[in-house]
Amino acid sequence: MLKIVIDGKEVEVEEGLSVLELAEKIGVKIPTLCYHPAVSAYGACRVCIVEVIEKGLSKLTTSCTCPVESGIEVKTNSEKVKKTRKLIVEMLLARCPDAKIIQDLAKQLHVEKTRAPQKNENCILCGLCMRICREIIGVDAIGFANRGHKRKVTTPFEIQSDVCLGCGACAFVCPTGAIKIEDVEDKRKIDMWHTELGKVKCERCGRYFFPESAVEYVKRKSLQDVDGFLKLCPDCRKRVLANKLVCGW
Amino acid sequence: MSKKIASLRELDELRKRGLKSLYPDKPRIMVGMATCGLATGGKKVFEILSKGIEKNGMDAKLIPTGCLGYCQKEPLVDLLRPGWPRIIYQQMDPEKAEKLLDNINQGNIWRENVLAKMEEDEFLIFDEKRKYPSGSEANLNNTPSYQQLPFYKKQLRIATRNCGFINPTNLAEYVARGGYYSLFKVLTQYEPEQVIEEVINSGLRGRGGAGFPTGRKWIYSRQAKGDIKYVICNADEGDPGAYMDRSILEGDPHSILEGMIIGAYAIGAREGYIYVRAEYPLAIERLKEAIHQAQDYGFLGNDILGGRFSFSINISRGAGAFVCGEETALIASIEGRQGEPRPRPPFPAQSGLWGKPTNINNVETWANIPVIIARGADWFSQIGTQRSKGTKVFSLVGKINNTGLVEVPMGITLREIIYDIGGGIPGGKKFKAVQTGGPSGGCVPSWLLNLPVDYEQLTKVGSIMGSGGMIVIDEDTCVVDLARYFLSFLQDESCGKCTSCREGIVWMLEILTRITHGKGEEGDIELLEQIAEVVKNASLCGLGKTAPNSVLTTSLYFKDEYEAHIKDKQCPARVCRDLITYIINEEKCTGCMRCVKECVQEAIVGERRKPHRIIQEKCIKCGICYETCKFDAIKLE
Amino acid sequence: MKRVLLVNWEKCIGCRTCEMICSLLNEERCNPTEARITVIKFEEKGADFPVYCQNCEAPACEAICPAKAIYKDDITEAVLVDIRRCIGCRMCILACPIGGLSFHPARKEIIKCDLCKGDPACVKYCPEGALEVVSLDTIGVKRRRENIRKFSSYLDMMTGGKE
Repeated sequence: MLKIVIDGKEVEVEEGLSVLELAEKIGVKIPTLCYHPAVSAYGACRVCIVEVIEKGLSKLTTSCTCPVESGIEVKTNSEKVKKTRKLIVEMLLARCPDAKIIQDLAKQLHVEKTRAPQKNENCILCGLCMRICREIIGVDAIGFANRGHKRKVTTPFEIQSDVCLGCGACAFVCPTGAIKIEDVEDKRKIDMWHTELGKVKCERCGRYFFPESAVEYVKRKSLQDVDGFLKLCPDCRKRVLANKLVCGW
Repeated sequence: MSKKIASLRELDELRKRGLKSLYPDKPRIMVGMATCGLATGGKKVFEILSKGIEKNGMDAKLIPTGCLGYCQKEPLVDLLRPGWPRIIYQQMDPEKAEKLLDNINQGNIWRENVLAKMEEDEFLIFDEKRKYPSGSEANLNNTPSYQQLPFYKKQLRIATRNCGFINPTNLAEYVARGGYYSLFKVLTQYEPEQVIEEVINSGLRGRGGAGFPTGRKWIYSRQAKGDIKYVICNADEGDPGAYMDRSILEGDPHSILEGMIIGAYAIGAREGYIYVRAEYPLAIERLKEAIHQAQDYGFLGNDILGGRFSFSINISRGAGAFVCGEETALIASIEGRQGEPRPRPPFPAQSGLWGKPTNINNVETWANIPVIIARGADWFSQIGTQRSKGTKVFSLVGKINNTGLVEVPMGITLREIIYDIGGGIPGGKKFKAVQTGGPSGGCVPSWLLNLPVDYEQLTKVGSIMGSGGMIVIDEDTCVVDLARYFLSFLQDESCGKCTSCREGIVWMLEILTRITHGKGEEGDIELLEQIAEVVKNASLCGLGKTAPNSVLTTSLYFKDEYEAHIKDKQCPARVCRDLITYIINEEKCTGCMRCVKECVQEAIVGERRKPHRIIQEKCIKCGICYETCKFDAIKLE
Repeated sequence: MKRVLLVNWEKCIGCRTCEMICSLLNEERCNPTEARITVIKFEEKGADFPVYCQNCEAPACEAICPAKAIYKDDITEAVLVDIRRCIGCRMCILACPIGGLSFHPARKEIIKCDLCKGDPACVKYCPEGALEVVSLDTIGVKRRRENIRKFSSYLDMMTGGKE
């Protein structure tokens, strides 16, 4: 067990947590953008910055990547932290003026306007989509291209991905909703990834219910496809299940 | 028959061969063929000499060598003849090369284009000096000796000890001057912990810029758990204007290898990488050759020097990203991932390349290791200041008379480097500042020139030592424009991962660009300082953390120049185009029409023999008229 | 002790009260599409069958969840989704052979039967007593196997293959 001081309070905690995880545990709120409990901490957005004082020296560091170590003192909302966080939000607001999550964060931190040069992006380059696709789904369909302010998330060579499952996890986790998924008849289109995928048609009701590559993924990873349930949409699966009984009755 | 060295006797034999090569019984002509030499025409000189030697049936050795440091005077040709004084010729070209050969053939000493005579040559590893004839009989008394030249007098060449003295592709010559003797000493007499202790006691600090105590870094890697460990040489040298590492890689690649082998032994690594930027093709070539030779002779590979230690080195090439000089981004690049830094902890010493304990050091750091082992920590720690031991190689460039690479003991003052070694500012211009540490560094103004150069002193005045870039600027350099240039560089090179660096640099650059275009506003400097604070404190890696330095130091020391730009819309150095005006002085103008003809914008009007006039709305401030006018009739305001 | 939901389909009259109460308690409104239980009607045969997550012993959804967001409750052993960890990939929905999970369109969350923390509302409100919650003691285990045997080819997955 490690003893640290956080916002003036002495806390005992087991080893292996980050400062952000500890704060969550004890109910201290630290804003985040690029953090997600299912993937590794990345430290890109810098919004979760806290002040850490160790051996008399103070530094600002991201709480998501800072391991809790014995004897440190953490200040999650000191003047220095507040000032820094506000300016970072100003930078994000200038980059993505229409992103609701940034607008909300700005309101929360009393940032009324931004003095930085205006841009019109949707993506805050948090990397969640890429990390989810790489670490969780495991197909690594998207990644960062270019450097610096030209950095963007895209597929290799910015063409149709041959590994994308079309599962939509990237769009789900995107904090700003920059990734749009369009379901059009028998296709799922993800314009940002230059990708169009065919969907599987339910054998029973004819509805196109999920991209084929995702269904293949499930097939590869899971149990026996008894009764060919993977060719049915979830609603029809319920019906088929019930039907078995009724027919037997 | 195997060439592998497995005993001191065999090493001594190799040394003898190297000495015969360094001091043959026939003329030995060395031509500076590092990138500086090649850029000034060294290849042609080499070819002419080669042809001439063949044509005349001369019995002479023609050797390409590395950078002697006096790049301003390249191509340099070093002539050594048994029994004759050793002379270094400067600024050679094919015509002068022919003359030199003629003189050699006729048995004369050619007295033109002489840079210096070399009266003695130091073998640093053995603490031996080798003397040459002084040439008093040959009437060379007035010729300055190499050690007495102002450029070299205050230098102490440890890391660059062999550059310009050996053929970098001749392993025997490296051994002749003491190469691989330190490795032999370590493998036969030292336990790994003893090696680390020696490095700690020497006080050596990382020469890549951060200045972290090298020995302490080695201990962390040594203590880290695991059987597989790596050593890496960071040869990504990305700072504009800095080429210290390049000259060591091109001129003395074996010194790096030897340093790395010793380091690998100390921490327990069996494999190493040299990460070289792709823009150094000559360095990569030299390294490849050196590695092959080292393997042939048993200095690399299995059972080194006949012992039980095995170590191999791979070369990994960069691909044009400055950020890959940052250690975690470098590691990512070697692993084939995108070159972007990651948060630390964990540090590379615990978890680095492929998650294994890794020790990364800079080229110059590795090059110092064999000397520290040979001469001892005590000797090394007596050079330099209390907290910065040893020497540092600086690339002295910009508005300076003696452009080149200088290696000086820490503690020497900036004034000595710029005026004594550098020869001051050309054209009689006034010194303004010296920019140290590359884009991450800052400007040191003239009133701080007595500053002794060491890590702490430079940090105290707001700059950094960095990897050793030293750019001298004069009254004709606009510091606001200089800060803008560095920020523009960093904007392109930022990896873009963290918000503060990526967006913060863009923001600062926008403000600076406005200022240099005459659109500065009240409050700009304060805003710059606010942004700078955040970029410095909140960024993930060294690039972001040090990015604001150029703005911070220039606005601190040259506030009046900033204010001139913002309030008065003037550029005192007459650089920022939107803030300068070219005007024809009607009293001096003779009406010769030359500028009228040269002006691409047709912005100058006037008749023959009548004073001309520049139409300001058409003028694009290119300065061609200014350069064309022979009567000094065009003023810059 | 683990509890499971059993259905005596002969008693089901298709009133869909279970759907109403389930969505009311979970979503604060009566919307059958937001319920965790669905009654499938067979008008011609006059039969009705409530379908819901079987809280399998070896759930396919837990096995496939790449984010490891699906887990079993400490006490009830109901199969639950950690909304915070969920990445919305919907592999769980695809992997469940009986369509036990679905995606709430508005709240954008995975929804499934969680046994109402051990005291299922549908059991309480079913007018015919067609739904029953049973503790998995020896008799409970047997009854559950019998219950599932007729309609599911995934008997082993749902009951853990133990006998």
